Amino acid sequence: MEMLGLYPVFYVPNFGSAWLMGLTGTIHILASHTSVGAGMLFAFLAHKAYKEDRPELYDYMKRYGMFLLIFSYVIGSITGPGIWYTATAASPRGISALIHNFVWVWATEWVFFIYEVIGVFALVYFIDKIDRKTHLKLTYTFAIASVGTLALIIGIISFMMWPGNDAFYNTGSASDAFFGMNTFPHMFLRIGFMIMMSGIIGMIISSAMKKDNAALSKELTQKMGIVSLLGGFVTMFFFMWYIMTLPANASAILALPSNSGIILQRIILAILFSVYFLVAIFKPQWISRTLAIVMLFVIGISGVWPGEKLRESMRKPYVAGQYIYSNNIIARDVPGKGIKSEVPILAAKGFLKVDPWVPERLRTITPENKLEVGEMLTKRACSNCHSLETNGKYRPMATLIATKLPGKDAATINNYMKNVIGTGAVSYMPKIALPDEEYDAMAAWMATQVK
Amino acid sequence: MDATLINLMKDPAGVPFFPVVFQGLYILTWALHAAFVLLALGAFGLSLYGSTKQKTDSNWKIFNPHLIMTGKFSVSMLILLGIAPLLFTQVIYDSGWYVANTLSGAWVFIFIYSLITGYMMFYWYAAANKKGKSGNTIIGLISFAILVFCGILMHNFAVESISPTKWMEWYAPNGVINNSGFNFHIDIIRLAFMVSLTIPVVGIFMQNYSDFLSTRKDFSSEYLTFVKNLGTKLAVVGLLISAVLFVVWMLKEGLLLNPVVLATIVSVVVLLLLAMRNKNSYVTTGILVVVALFISGVRELVRYNIMSGLGYDLYGYHMNLEIETITMFLLTFVILGFTGIAFILTMAWKVGKREGVFDASKDVAVTKLANATLAIFILWTAVYFAWGIVALFKNTL
Ligand code: HEC
Ligand code: HEM
Repeated sequence: MEMLGLYPVFYVPNFGSAWLMGLTGTIHILASHTSVGAGMLFAFLAHKAYKEDRPELYDYMKRYGMFLLIFSYVIGSITGPGIWYTATAASPRGISALIHNFVWVWATEWVFFIYEVIGVFALVYFIDKIDRKTHLKLTYTFAIASVGTLALIIGIISFMMWPGNDAFYNTGSASDAFFGMNTFPHMFLRIGFMIMMSGIIGMIISSAMKKDNAALSKELTQKMGIVSLLGGFVTMFFFMWYIMTLPANASAILALPSNSGIILQRIILAILFSVYFLVAIFKPQWISRTLAIVMLFVIGISGVWPGEKLRESMRKPYVAGQYIYSNNIIARDVPGKGIKSEVPILAAKGFLKVDPWVPERLRTITPENKLEVGEMLTKRACSNCHSLETNGKYRPMATLIATKLPGKDAATINNYMKNVIGTGAVSYMPKIALPDEEYDAMAAWMATQVK
Repeated sequence: MDATLINLMKDPAGVPFFPVVFQGLYILTWALHAAFVLLALGAFGLSLYGSTKQKTDSNWKIFNPHLIMTGKFSVSMLILLGIAPLLFTQVIYDSGWYVANTLSGAWVFIFIYSLITGYMMFYWYAAANKKGKSGNTIIGLISFAILVFCGILMHNFAVESISPTKWMEWYAPNGVINNSGFNFHIDIIRLAFMVSLTIPVVGIFMQNYSDFLSTRKDFSSEYLTFVKNLGTKLAVVGLLISAVLFVVWMLKEGLLLNPVVLATIVSVVVLLLLAMRNKNSYVTTGILVVVALFISGVRELVRYNIMSGLGYDLYGYHMNLEIETITMFLLTFVILGFTGIAFILTMAWKVGKREGVFDASKDVAVTKLANATLAIFILWTAVYFAWGIVALFKNTL
C-alpha cells in the first residue's frame, strides 16, 4: 500500500504548535541581531580607540562586552538551536527539507559560530591582557565572522519564503535555492536592524557611565544615537526593496484585512524610534539607564514580533521553498530532486489510507468513531496554522468559522472545505483535497467546536 | 513501525552527499559535544563542593573560581558543539530524530527554556561566588540540577529515536492518539554511564590544569600538587565506575564482544593506567580523546544495529550529490576554521602562560596567524558575494 512519509502530530491544546516557534524566534532574533550588531560596533570602536589612542574606550568596550556575552551569546546561542528544535516539533518535514538542502551551508555557519564564541571570550577577557594591535585584528575578524553567520543563514530563511525563480526546481541545487531574489535585500534589511540594535544597547551602557565619566557618557550616547538612526534608515530602505521581491501569495496575505494596519503601524513606529534617537543625539543627558532599557524592549519587541509574525504569515501556505505546505504535505513536483507532489495521492486516497500514524481502529470511519477520526484529521490537516478548540487563541479555527462561514454547521464547513480549500481557491491555504467521507468527519468534529 | 515505514520517512529530497561521510562526521562531532558536556557538568558539580570549602581552605579558594570559569566556558562550547551532530543526525537518521521530536514536542520546548534558565543562573552563581556572598551554593545547585535535567531530556530524545518498534504505542497508546508531546522514556544504564563519565573527565582536566600552570611563578607548587592529586583520585575512581556501567550497558545491548566495544574497553584501561601514573597529563588527554571517539562510535553502533536490524537502509539513502556547498564547507572548515582557531588558541595559551600583558605583536606565530585569519575572512566574504551575484544573474537574466 502506498503511504506518505508523514510524522506524528504534536499539538498544544488551544494554541497549536506554531506559536512556540514564534516566541523562540522573537527572542532569538533580538539576541542574535544584537550580537552581530555589537560585533560590528566593537570593530568600529576598537578602530577608533586604536587610531585616536583613546584608552577610555576600551573600558567601555569591556563593559559592553560583558553585557554582550551574557545577553546575546547565552540567549542567542541557545535559542538558535532552539528555533530549530521547536520548528522541528511543529513542522518536521519543513525542517527536514531545509536540512537536506542546506546541510553544508549550516555546517559552514557552524564553523563561523565556533570562531565567534571562542572569539567573544577572547575579545572580552583579553582586552587588557594582550597588546592593542592584535586585539584590533581580533575585533575585525570577529565582526566579519558575525556578519558571516548572517550571510550564511539568510539564504536559507529567504528560501523558506521562496526560491525566487524556477531554477532550483529544475536543478535541485542548493546554490540556486540559496541566492534568490530576496536574499540580498533581506540581508541588508537585517544588517540595518542589527546596527540599530547595537546602538540601542550601546546607550544602556553609555548612560550607565554618567557617574564615572560624564563627558564620555555624553559623547558615547550621542554616537550611539547616530548609529541607531543610521541603522534604522538602512532598515527602512531595504524593507521597501524587500517587499518588492516577495511572491504573489505573500502579497495576498499582506492585503488581508487582519494585516491592514501593519504598514501604517510600521511608519508610526519608525517615527517614534527616530524621535528617541534624535533625543540621544541632541539631548544625551535626558537618556537615563532605565529609559534606555525600557526602549530596548519596546523597540526590540515592537520591531521584531510583528515583523516575524508577518514573515511567518506571508510564507503561507508553505513552510519552505514553496514546495512544502505548512501542514507537512508536499505541494508540488521538484524534478531536480526527484520529489513528487503528494496532493493528488491525498485527493485520491485520503489520509486514512496513506497516513502511517493512523491507529488501525480509526482507519475505517464508523458512526462511533466519526468524531474521533474528524479530530485526528483536522489536527493533521489544519492545526499547523490554526488552533482548533472553541477557545483557541492562535488563528482560531472556531472563531474564523463563526465569523466567516455564516451557516456555522457541519454542512457549511463541509461545503467550504470541499469547494474552497479542496480546490486551492485561497492563496494562503494549502490545497487539501480529500475524499468526501474525510471532509464529512472533519466537518462534524469542527462543528462541535464552534459556538 | 516496520522497515518500509522507517524508510518511507526519509526525506524525498535525498541526502546531498554519501551517508557514510555524515555518519563519520556525526561520530566525530558528537564526541566533541560529549567532551564538553562532561567537562561542564564535572567542573560545575565539583565547584559546588568547592564553594562549601573555599571559605576555610586556601587551595579551594584559588581553585574554585577557575572551576566555575571552566564550567561557564564549557557550557557555551557544548551548546555550540551540539549543533553539528544535531545537523548530521537529521540528515541520515531523520526518521528517528523527527519522530522523537514530535513525540516529545513539549519536552523539546521545555528543554530550550530550561537550558536558558539554567545557564543564566550559572552566571548568577558565578557572580555571587566571586563576591563571596553566602547562599550562592543554592543558586548553583539549582542551576546544576537544571543543566543535568537538560542532559536527561537529550537522552530521552536519543532513546526515543532508536526505538521504532515502540513509536506507535507511544503515539497512540491502545489506539487512542495523544498529541501532547509529553512522551518521556529513559534507559537508566545508558544514562548512568554517560553521567558517570563526568567524574574522570574533570579529574583529567585537573591534571592538565596543574601541569599547565606549573610554569607560572604565581601558583605555589603545594597548591598545584593538591589539585593534581585530587584530579588523579577522581579520574581513577570515576573511570572504574564508568567501566563497570559500560560493561553492563554493552551486555544489555548484546554487543560486549563486538570488536569496537572491545577496543573501547582496552582504550579505557590504557586511560586508567595513564591517569594513575600521572606523568604527562597531555598524553592522558590525548588518550581521553580517543576514548571519547570510541564511545561516540559505540553509540552509533548501537543505533546502526537497531535501525538496520529493522531494515533501515542507511547506505542506500537516495542521494542528490551537491558539490558547491560541500566545497564551501570543506574549504571554510579546513582553511578558515583551522587558521582562525589556531590563532585564538595560540594566543590564549600564551596569555595563560604569562603574568601581565602579552605583546602578541612581537610574537611571530601569533602575528602571522592573526594576519592570515583576517585575510582569509576578507577573501571568504568576497567569494561569497561573487558567487551570489553570479548565481542571481544566471537565474534571473
Ligand atoms: C498554511 C496554513 C493554513 C492551513 C494548513 C490551513 N489554513 Fe485556514 N487559514 C489560513 C490563513 C492564513 C487564514 C486567514 C486568517 C485571517 O483571515 O486572519 C485562514 C483562514 C481560514 C478560514 C476563514 C475563511 C477564510 O477564507 O479566510 C477558515 C474557515 C479556515 N481557514 C479553515 C481551514 C481548515 C478547515 C483547514 C484544514 C483543512 C485550514 N484552514 C488549514 C491558513 C491555513
Ligand atoms: C546542558 C545542556 C546539554 C546537556 C547536559 C547535553 C547532554 C547530552 C547527552 C548526555 C547526550 C547523550 C544522550 C544519549 O546518548 O543517551 C546528548 C546527545 C546529543 N546532544 Fe546534547 N546536551 C546538552 C545540550 C545540547 C544542545 C544545546 C544541543 C544542540 C545544539 C545538543 C545536541 C545533541 C545531539 C545532536 C545529541 C545526539 C542525539 C542523537 O543523535 O541521538 N545538546 N547530549
